[in-house]
Formats: sequence, structure tokens, C-alpha cells
Amino acid sequence: MRKIFPAEELARDARFIRQTNEQRLGDPRGARVAGGSSGDRLAKLTPELANGPDRARALMHGIFVGEIQALEGAGRTCWDFELDEEVPLALKLDMARQCWDEARHCEISVSLAEHMGTELGEFAENGLLYEAACNPDPVLRLTGVNRALEGLAIDVFNTMKEFGNLAGDPVLEFCEDWMLADEVTHVKMGSDWLRRLTANDKERLDKALEFQKIVDRLFSFNGFRGEDDDSPIQLTRRFRELAGFSDDEIDEIADMSREARVEAPS
Amino acid sequence: MTDIKRPREPFAPWDRRTLPGLFDVEETAKRVGNYKWLEIKLFEALGGWVATVPELDVKLRLGTHCYHHAWHAELFDKRLPELREMKTERLTVPANDEIATFVEAMTAPEDAHMTIEKLVGVYRVLIPHTIAAYTYHRNATSEITDMPTVRILDFILQDEFNDWREGEMLIQSMLESDEEVDRAMTHQAKLEKLMLAAGGIAGPGSIGDPYVEAMEDN
Repeated sequence: MRKIFPAEELARDARFIRQTNEQRLGDPRGARVAGGSSGDRLAKLTPELANGPDRARALMHGIFVGEIQALEGAGRTCWDFELDEEVPLALKLDMARQCWDEARHCEISVSLAEHMGTELGEFAENGLLYEAACNPDPVLRLTGVNRALEGLAIDVFNTMKEFGNLAGDPVLEFCEDWMLADEVTHVKMGSDWLRRLTANDKERLDKALEFQKIVDRLFSFNGFRGEDDDSPIQLTRRFRELAGFSDDEIDEIADMSREARVEAPS
Repeated sequence: MTDIKRPREPFAPWDRRTLPGLFDVEETAKRVGNYKWLEIKLFEALGGWVATVPELDVKLRLGTHCYHHAWHAELFDKRLPELREMKTERLTVPANDEIATFVEAMTAPEDAHMTIEKLVGVYRVLIPHTIAAYTYHRNATSEITDMPTVRILDFILQDEFNDWREGEMLIQSMLESDEEVDRAMTHQAKLEKLMLAAGGIAGPGSIGDPYVEAMEDN
């Protein structure tokens, strides 16, 4: 088996449809879910919105395929790097633990998707998350995946948990809360390893944080995640603090989202 | 009122554990190091394969089992310093070159069409051999002096049995033609021969030696 497995070769059955992010955003099904043209800004996700339930279903499908890629990414980190030469055993043990967690998240999210009336393959998948997990530097990989993408997952799960609460769906709320607990753990793993592996290497630390910003920006999607009341996905300060983010780092993500929102086509 | 001065034996009548075991501290450390090396190789491979298998249930099981074997490696890693091996990496090695060759062959399949080979290598060859070696070790070591190793092996064996059953059921669910049965058997035989050359996961003597020296007739 090779080291570094390319995103375009990720193994999938016939139900999965792969699209680039640009294709996905231009997909008329996505526009229908957004409630208008694909360029329309999204409102905060609530059950009262006319397209709220559809958006929640699409988001849950997105969570499911994201969890598969997160599982694949953590698995590859177990395999891709030489023990002791490139990464310590403790890091690989953390990644193996994350594999188990992500496998459970796949089971949870595919069950929730069915619970919400969604079929596997109803929406497309893009490989962006796994692509971030292909970085050949383990520090950059963990920073991009565990801090940027798993950080985004914290915000998404918290939003879905609130949606479950507002919709009177205790199953959704219960499951999202459990996944949220795991995600805080994964982000904290990323924060801890970033600090440990770059303790005496400022240049590598800076590169890793820059990579995190790039990934964060890629997943900004016109600033849909932010602290404004009407942000579709709410940036969750409390959980990010638990996961090892400083106030300055959270401010930076909030500012980035705000700028992306202003720059987004109206 | 209980008579607190009435003597009792240190071992209850039903506790038949005895002091001697087959392994001394040094031999135990050596075996534990071999086990740890193998569990690391196994969890790395299971993690790496997740991206390469299209079958959704297999993908999720591999992710789950990946952690089981990482936990086993961690348990063995923690046991090594208790066996006077402070530089744990010194003993975290394959038992011999042949077991390293076996692992190389077992982890070679990558193609999306080779899920059967991946599963057969792990669940029909390696895991049965780990169950055999761990059971031998668990039963042959002293249950008093080496109880920490016995306790570790008991937890690990529980995982191994469960994972073996799940893996075997996945294999059975994937064998739908004579050609697929042949593929599975061919791959199993190839790996079994490599394991035979290694003498088991801890080398010759992995599960003891059941033969006795026959007396020569004059």
C-alpha cells in the first residue's frame, strides 16, 4: 500500500457522486435548498424557514460524507508517517482513536440522515476535507484537519443541535451533542500536537497556522459561518476555547468570516 | 459476632493459581515487545486501508478495529517499563525477519477491488495467530507473578475474538462466487506459508511445542 493516497482515488460505491466545490455550489439542487439562486445568501438555519428542513437534510448529508473523509484522513495519518522518525506513537494512537470516533459519527450521521428523510447520494460529495488530510507534513495535516475542519464541525454540530432543539427533535439534539463532545476532543488533539511538535520550531508553527487559515478560508463559503445573529452556522466560542483556541484565534476566524460575507456576491 | 482471630488460608479453596510460569521477566518483555510491534503494524494498516475500500460497512469496521489494535499496542507499551525495559523501542521489533516479510505481504493489497484479500490477511491469518499466541502466553505464564500481563491479554483477547467474528462475517458476506472463494483461499495459503516460515507472531515457540522427544529403540 502506498504512502499518501490521492483524493481522486477515494473508494466509494455507486451511490456517491463526487463534485468539485464550484460544481456543488452551482448545483441546482443546492440552489433549491438555499431557497433561490445559488448566489443567494443563506439565513440562519431554523425550522421556521420555508427551506429550513431541506437545508438541514442537505447539511446532514454533508456531515455524513465529511465524517467518512475525516475517518479516511485519520486512518491515513496512522499509515502515511514513519513511527518515531516522523511522528511519535502517541500521535498515531490519537489518530486511531479518532478513526473509531469518526466511524461512530458515520453511523450516527447516516442514521440521522435517514431519520430526516434523506437517501445516501441525494446530495453530492466534494473531496476538500480529505485533500487537507493529504498534506505530507503531519503538523500541517493535523492543523488543517483537526483545528480548521474539526473546528468547523464544532460550529456545524452546535448549529444542528440547536436546530434539533427548535424543531422539537430530541433524537437529533441528543446525537449532535454526543458528536460535539467528540469534536471538541479532536480539535484539542490538534491544538495539543501543534504546540508539542512545533515547540522549538517557530517557522513550522507559522507554516501550520498559515495552512490552517487557508483551509478555514476555503470552507468559509461566502462567510456562512460567523458570530452575527443571522449567520447560517454560528461560530461557537465556548467549545472552541475548550478545544485550545485562544481568544485572538477565535476573533481572527470571526473577522475572516465577516470579511468573506461582505465580499460575497449579493 | 464474627471471630476475627480465626485463621484463614491466603488462597481460598477455589483459587488454584500456582507460582511457577514458563516465562521469566526477560522472555516476557521480549514477547510483549514483539506483540506491540505487530499491533502497531496492524492498526497502521487498518487505518490506511479505510480510504481504499468502497464497501461502506467494511470501511467503518476497519476504522473501529484500527483503534482496538492501537489500544492493544498502548497496553503493551505501558507494560514494557514494568518489565525493566525502559527504552521500549529497543524491544518494539519483529520477532524475526520472516514476520516482517509476512506483514509486508499482508499490507501490500491496495486496489479497491482487493477488499477480500485485505480482510483475509487480517481475519483469517493474522488474528487467528494472535489469538493462539496470546492464549498460549496467558495460560503459560504465572497467574501470580505476571498477573498484569494476564490481565492485559484477557482484555485484548476479548477484542480479538469479537473482531475476528466480525471480520469473518464480512468475508463470508463478500464471497459470492467460486472465483472469489479461490481468491480468498489462494491469498490465505500464501500468507499462511509466510507465517509458518516465521514460526508464529513471536517466532518459533509462539504457541509452545506439543511434541516430545521419542525414546530410541535399541
